[in-house]
Amino acid sequence: MSIYLLQIINGIGIGMLYFLMSVGLSIIFGLLGFVNFAHGAFFMLGAYICFEISGSALGFWWALILVPLIVGAFAWLTEKFLLRYIYQLPHGFHILLTLGVALVLQEAVIVWWGPIGKEIAPPALLEGVVVLGSFVYPIYRLFVIAFTALMALLLWWLLDGTRLGSIVRAGSESTEMVSLLGININRIISLIFTLGTGIAGMAGALAAPIRGAEPFMGVEALGIAFVVVVTGGMGSFGGALGGGLLIGIVQSLMSTIWPEGAHLMIYVAMAAVMLLRPSGLFGRG
Amino acid sequence: MNLLTHYRYTLLAIATVLLLPVMLSSGSLATEVLIFALASLGCNLLLGYTGLMSFGQGIFLGLGSYTAGLSLLHMRVPLLVALLAAMVVGAVAAAAVGWLSIRRRGIYFALLTLALGQMFYFLAYTLKDITGGDNGLLNIPRPQLSVFNTTLLPTATQWQYYGFVALVFVVAFTLIQRVADSVLGRTLLAIRDNETRAAAIGYNVKLFKLIAFTISGAITGLAGALYAILIGVAPLSSIEYQASESILIMTVIGGTGNLFASVLGAGLYVLAGDWLSTLWPRWLMLLGILLIVVSLYMQKGLWGLGAQLIDRLKPRRAPRDPSAVKRKQNP
Amino acid sequence: MTVAILEAVNIVKRYGKFIAVNGITLSVMPHTVHSVIGPNGAGKTTLFHALTGAVPINEGSITVDGVVVSHLPGYKRVLKGLTRSFQVTSLFPNLSVHENLRLAAQGRNPVQALHLWRSAESLTAAGETVDILLKRLNLSAVATRAAGELSHGQQRRLEVGMAMAGQPKVILLDEPTSGMGIEDIGDMKRLIHDLREEHTVVLIEHNMDIVMDISDTVTVMQLGQVLVEGKPDEIRNDERVRRAYLGSMTDGDSA
Repeated sequence: MSIYLLQIINGIGIGMLYFLMSVGLSIIFGLLGFVNFAHGAFFMLGAYICFEISGSALGFWWALILVPLIVGAFAWLTEKFLLRYIYQLPHGFHILLTLGVALVLQEAVIVWWGPIGKEIAPPALLEGVVVLGSFVYPIYRLFVIAFTALMALLLWWLLDGTRLGSIVRAGSESTEMVSLLGININRIISLIFTLGTGIAGMAGALAAPIRGAEPFMGVEALGIAFVVVVTGGMGSFGGALGGGLLIGIVQSLMSTIWPEGAHLMIYVAMAAVMLLRPSGLFGRG
Repeated sequence: MNLLTHYRYTLLAIATVLLLPVMLSSGSLATEVLIFALASLGCNLLLGYTGLMSFGQGIFLGLGSYTAGLSLLHMRVPLLVALLAAMVVGAVAAAAVGWLSIRRRGIYFALLTLALGQMFYFLAYTLKDITGGDNGLLNIPRPQLSVFNTTLLPTATQWQYYGFVALVFVVAFTLIQRVADSVLGRTLLAIRDNETRAAAIGYNVKLFKLIAFTISGAITGLAGALYAILIGVAPLSSIEYQASESILIMTVIGGTGNLFASVLGAGLYVLAGDWLSTLWPRWLMLLGILLIVVSLYMQKGLWGLGAQLIDRLKPRRAPRDPSAVKRKQNP
Repeated sequence: MTVAILEAVNIVKRYGKFIAVNGITLSVMPHTVHSVIGPNGAGKTTLFHALTGAVPINEGSITVDGVVVSHLPGYKRVLKGLTRSFQVTSLFPNLSVHENLRLAAQGRNPVQALHLWRSAESLTAAGETVDILLKRLNLSAVATRAAGELSHGQQRRLEVGMAMAGQPKVILLDEPTSGMGIEDIGDMKRLIHDLREEHTVVLIEHNMDIVMDISDTVTVMQLGQVLVEGKPDEIRNDERVRRAYLGSMTDGDSA
């Protein structure tokens, strides 16, 4: 098997992780029209909580279940006590407040766990590698691909097949209309924010055995989430999926062809999409 | 009396410059306050006056540092020429960044500046031969201020350099204040208030935004140059995302209603950072909390808070309409 | 035979397959009030946007006093003598009424606004225009208040005032009385009627009372085309117009 094929598989793995990390940001933007600059920090929080739980008697599998719930709870509290009060302010303040939250989370993590990154071992079941042609590939990463694909299906069913999903999609067109239909839009907003951010936390937990947990991974994650969401298309599930996969694969291939350029390429792609096709490559127009 | 009110902000700037040496024992810290006040002014011109939230100010800060560093190291230019070169490079870069970013509005504009910032960071990191990469440009000399081989102002010691920077700062502040008060500045305010309407009454909004960007780039480039000459290094960190973020935070905390507010914001950021970081290395958490508080309760920043307090303390008069634009009384 | 001051010839605007404006020709005579009416979906708003430059046209030409403006962006049309008001009030809410009008008056000469060293007050031409306008709009008393604090009626008058300040040849008004109360409407009618002296007015309105009262010419649109055009009395009694509206005609409030 050629190195390129391996990198593409790798890219799909990374891309699915990017999708999971970014889909919440995308849908929250679609629904609320605001960008959560603390999204990456919640991703980071997920990684740290995964470190804590998988290192305890409960182990990794419990971490995978509990992390999205715990991060979701933090998100719910943030929305309830902070974000709710600034929706009507100009966008600039949304950015600033969530920047503040991100800073607080980042420093809190350092206070609790120290400034040096932590390593998380994958669970015993998923340790080791599998042989693909002349290359070896970590089993854990295959698991990540399978798990995120499952989550993607679940999310897609949630959005497309349930009443809640249609409310979300309607709400992203017009929150006024939705509230006129008698639906408590505040509860929906809170639910969506909790869900979208909880998923990002779960992505952090999944990424932890691969990347570890480190206080500044939130800033990096936010940058990538922005790139994914913008190139794919803001406010759209398909956009996050398509964008995530594209960016993951491009990054992976670049690491073989031109490693230093990988970081640059994704931002060039982001700028290009914003200038030439602002609705994104896969999003609705 | 009219002249005093007309120039009240410049007087405040002069007062600040005279006060800092009294308050602080470190000349380089005092200089840093003024340098970042300049950077914050540049950011405020875009944010407070034109309504543009730029995540790319680090680009111009970094480019200013590199330009000054390179011109002083390799071409041994006089001090003022290095500063001027930095301003020109900053202005040109800002015109380019602006020209691209202005094509989009709102969050897309902000994200475009962020993406462009990352690209410039990458360039700075990779072109190690020019920028020194991770290490930055080292051993940047600090020439005296001299004309035709006569020294006008020595800059060797901390406080001597502070004196020079203070002069530059006051001149720059006066000029920027003049621009902000001019008909151009008033048009920028209109664009901030309602872009669509500004276009509908005949203004080429893109051109005005571009001009604001260019001026902002020049000031920020100047700040970058002064910084590199202060610490003797043109660091990579000036062009990193964190620098852009910090400048934005300073500007907002100070308050976007008013140029002098930027001086307050920068002062708070630099001084609190210096003082608090020795007490508690996690002082950034307090900054984060301050950002949250400002967003929730103090959207006009410290300046707004101060103005509110002063209003409360003033003897009761007929209430002044706070949101009417101040009409200058013509002398 | 006088020459039209605003000439829109064969305007076509398509949105994908949907043709919003399908070959409209409009000749507006100088110093008249020319209303454009029609049921919802007739394409009035799209035509309006095409005239102001907010949307580009697919075919046709627009000429103001002999000068072709068909493909000029909106802000450049102001210099050619074409200004507009907004249906949903769009002022500078945090700036004073005086400043709102000054900006609009200065917009006639935007190059002057590029001076980064001159104060706005030194450009006296605009200031004089503003003082006259304030009196005419009956807004002198609130000149220093923020535009966002005015009553709805006052804001609608300021809307029209902003369009007047640029000393235009043709003023395009988009439902100027939208949301206004009875007393304010009377003032607005007089204001628009008086505009004929120095300018030409093109009006989109849903309020038939006003249209019939102050218009010199009425153009009725339907489904992107001109149905009929003529004096208010002719239109009022036209069978085709009645059929076109069939229930969607309003009589006092905006639809």
